[in-house]
Amino acid sequence: MSESNSPSAPLAAPVRRGVPLWIQVIVWIGLLGLLVVVALGLRRAQQGTVQPGETIPDFTLSLFSGYEYEGRSEIRFSEFRGKVVVVNFWASWCKPCEQEAAELESAWRSYRDSGQVIFLGIDYVDTEPEARGYLTKFDITYPNGPDLGTRISQFFRIKGVPETYFIDRQGKLAYVQVGPFTSEAQIHAIIIPLLND
Amino acid sequence: MLADFGFGILLVTFLASLYSIVASLYGHLAHRPKWVESARLSMQLTFPLLTLASLTLIYLLVSGDFNVKFVYEVTSRDMPTYLKVTALWGGQSGSLLFWSWLMSAFATAVTLRKWERDREFLPWVTMVASITIAFFLGLNVFFENPFQRFWQTFQGVDAYTFRPANAIPFAPEDGRGLNPLLRHPGMVIHPPMLYLGFVAYVIPFAFAIAALITGRADDRWIRLTRRWSLTAWLFLSLGLVLGGRWAYDVLGWGGYWAWDPVEIAAFMPWLTGTAFLHSVMIQEKRGMLKRWNMILIILTYSLVVFGTFLTRSGVLSSVHAFAQSEIGPAFFIFIGVTLVASVALLIYRWDSLHAEGQMHSMFSREALFLLNNLLFMGILVICFWGVISPLITELVTGSKVTVGPPYYERAAGPLFALLVLLMGIAPLSAWGHITLKNLAAQNGLELEKRYALAIAKLLWKPAIPAVLVLIGLLAAGITNIYALIGLTFAALTASITLYEFWRAARARGRAQKEHFFLALWNLAGRNRRRYGGYIIHLGVILMAVGIIGIEMFQSETQRSLAVGESIQLAGYTVRYDSLAQFPANDGRWVTRAVVSVFDKNGQFLTELYPRYDVYSDGQPMTIPGVRSTLADDLYVLLINWEGVTSQIAPFKVYHNPLVNWLWLGAFVFIFGTLIAAWPEAEREPLPAQARKTKTVYQPGD
Repeated sequence: MSESNSPSAPLAAPVRRGVPLWIQVIVWIGLLGLLVVVALGLRRAQQGTVQPGETIPDFTLSLFSGYEYEGRSEIRFSEFRGKVVVVNFWASWCKPCEQEAAELESAWRSYRDSGQVIFLGIDYVDTEPEARGYLTKFDITYPNGPDLGTRISQFFRIKGVPETYFIDRQGKLAYVQVGPFTSEAQIHAIIIPLLND
Repeated sequence: MLADFGFGILLVTFLASLYSIVASLYGHLAHRPKWVESARLSMQLTFPLLTLASLTLIYLLVSGDFNVKFVYEVTSRDMPTYLKVTALWGGQSGSLLFWSWLMSAFATAVTLRKWERDREFLPWVTMVASITIAFFLGLNVFFENPFQRFWQTFQGVDAYTFRPANAIPFAPEDGRGLNPLLRHPGMVIHPPMLYLGFVAYVIPFAFAIAALITGRADDRWIRLTRRWSLTAWLFLSLGLVLGGRWAYDVLGWGGYWAWDPVEIAAFMPWLTGTAFLHSVMIQEKRGMLKRWNMILIILTYSLVVFGTFLTRSGVLSSVHAFAQSEIGPAFFIFIGVTLVASVALLIYRWDSLHAEGQMHSMFSREALFLLNNLLFMGILVICFWGVISPLITELVTGSKVTVGPPYYERAAGPLFALLVLLMGIAPLSAWGHITLKNLAAQNGLELEKRYALAIAKLLWKPAIPAVLVLIGLLAAGITNIYALIGLTFAALTASITLYEFWRAARARGRAQKEHFFLALWNLAGRNRRRYGGYIIHLGVILMAVGIIGIEMFQSETQRSLAVGESIQLAGYTVRYDSLAQFPANDGRWVTRAVVSVFDKNGQFLTELYPRYDVYSDGQPMTIPGVRSTLADDLYVLLINWEGVTSQIAPFKVYHNPLVNWLWLGAFVFIFGTLIAAWPEAEREPLPAQARKTKTVYQPGD
């Protein structure tokens, strides 16, 4: 701090004219810079989900053991090019997710052997024991992994869970479901047109 | 309809707070005290009004009126009544209302006092408090109305504040219910404690701004709000500790603090608040650090609002985050405007806030307090960088890179250790004064050397126990260098602090012919802030010991056990005895294991009952079985990832040495704060210059 340091009070109080200009400039630039950073972060947060028609950037997902894809514990999104990809964001603490868990699993089982459709479960902000409990409880068999560092959910700019993204064979986002599915038919109704493309 | 009534009250309260802002400003500018008085009364009116609004919402919650969206979101029929009441702060809109309610309670309390000597502060304190209340109420009125109801229209069901055309009310059968993780006593009081801490800091901030606007450069604003700062600090500390305890009991990861952005958001105002608590003493005693105190209180207020913003705007992902909503931009503008206005005011008044005193030496009390402040600011910078860096990396590289606990531990750990050491050395500077004079009489040594000599002379006795502790630790085979440094510092600081109590009480006992304990009692009564502060320091040291224990020496293991099998950890043997599954009377489905714990000699110690609860809505919760002693906690979890059967069950066991000292320290800490904050008759303050010349020291000063 710029407290006076010299002895004997009368001499020690030279008349100063406020804060030096250069310090003022630095303070204001720092303050504004900070506000800009927060504002941009906020704008991104407010942007909302990825829009249909956009190409999904590539990402890697590490999978829970027992929920691997063809025996591998890590997958790249780009390796599913040519297939219809259903990306479901969920969390064990998320109650609406439970409403759709059985429907998703049942839909997955009807496509599993065709090799044309892949389901990916992405566990958002969760703890592993709870997440595994959830997967066991709903007998989920499609590949599932944690969203480490919330990187993937940030790609998709999800607003919450559950959210489900349907990506066509060209890797473009086709449809976004915000909130739970109410029936299995709803899921098929989205996938079937994409398969016929 | 009751919900409409509630919203009406909110609207009226919002208008009252707006009126209060305008009236206080006009009253001051036009020199009409009646308008200022009217502004004060109108601000005080917000408290009964908000009480009514909150009671209305609580009534709706308890009566289970699921037509109201907020009630549907945070309660369900099977919840006990006390949880329905506390669900008030279980969701975004209700907690905002709760925030405003507490804020207006504090603002009302502070304006009830007599203002004769400080009348010029009144309009500005009223204005700052009213602006804050108006902002939070505005969020409720325009963005997050807790009284929104469900309406059925041709388009379907949605929530609206006002009835849309041709709509009929819609009430779901049952609500979604509170997240079971939040159904814990610790969680019931953790948020209100934090909110109380947050809102109480608005009071010293309001007075600081009043002092800046009026140009009153003395320490009156600090003296007026001293107890508010302490209260705010106590609640904030309690909120943080309760949050940690809740995590330890419920989250089932064996820890208490995860450096989550939202934890840090609550921790940052605590850091500046703690620095403020220390540095105001220098302004009171020496008339120094005036500008610094202004900066600290402005920072604290801004961080309080910033922390609330981080949690509620969806800028950062976190387990604590509320559902995203539209209030982010409003918050951002509010932070920007208040921060820019405060800094501009501070720059405008910079000159009048010059120091009255001067720093004598590196070892003087002022210098040590300043060092303490710098350490707190260092930790703040580390925390702030950790929180803000994902936003910056996102700008630069396009993806958020979140820093984890290792970053914070490595960067802030040494600073915490230095703080502990400083906590021990700083009291020496107070005695240093007396010793200094004796030394000064002896020879013409330089001031620096005299200070250093004085401190060394006082240090050697309390240093003996610390050296003994170090030897003991080495003898026990502890080789972790960080733990050795940390525990030695803690021992040194504790022994200096205790020595200080003993020394002062003995001196007083002799001088006043009092019994030692009576002298101790009177001593604490005579200078509550100092001795309360020392007790707080002892509490912090106990907490530090607990933190060192769990951070450096925690060990864990996990395995599936068949009945009769056992698992070993840190000399303990945990044997799986049996398993039972049964419904609890509140609808939970409980899976409870019985395990026996033996020590390393095979001696039976206790039985533990780790549990796995599944709520009726399907959400699970892992409750550990804990054997807790002063030496360590044995923390046994029944985990459900491979499926529990009565024959085989997977267990995870943590050994957490010394962790109980953390909670014990928290109690000492609270006790110390209560002593420091206990009201004493307000003495007429002397001007700083006059006090500086006072040379009469009583024992214990």
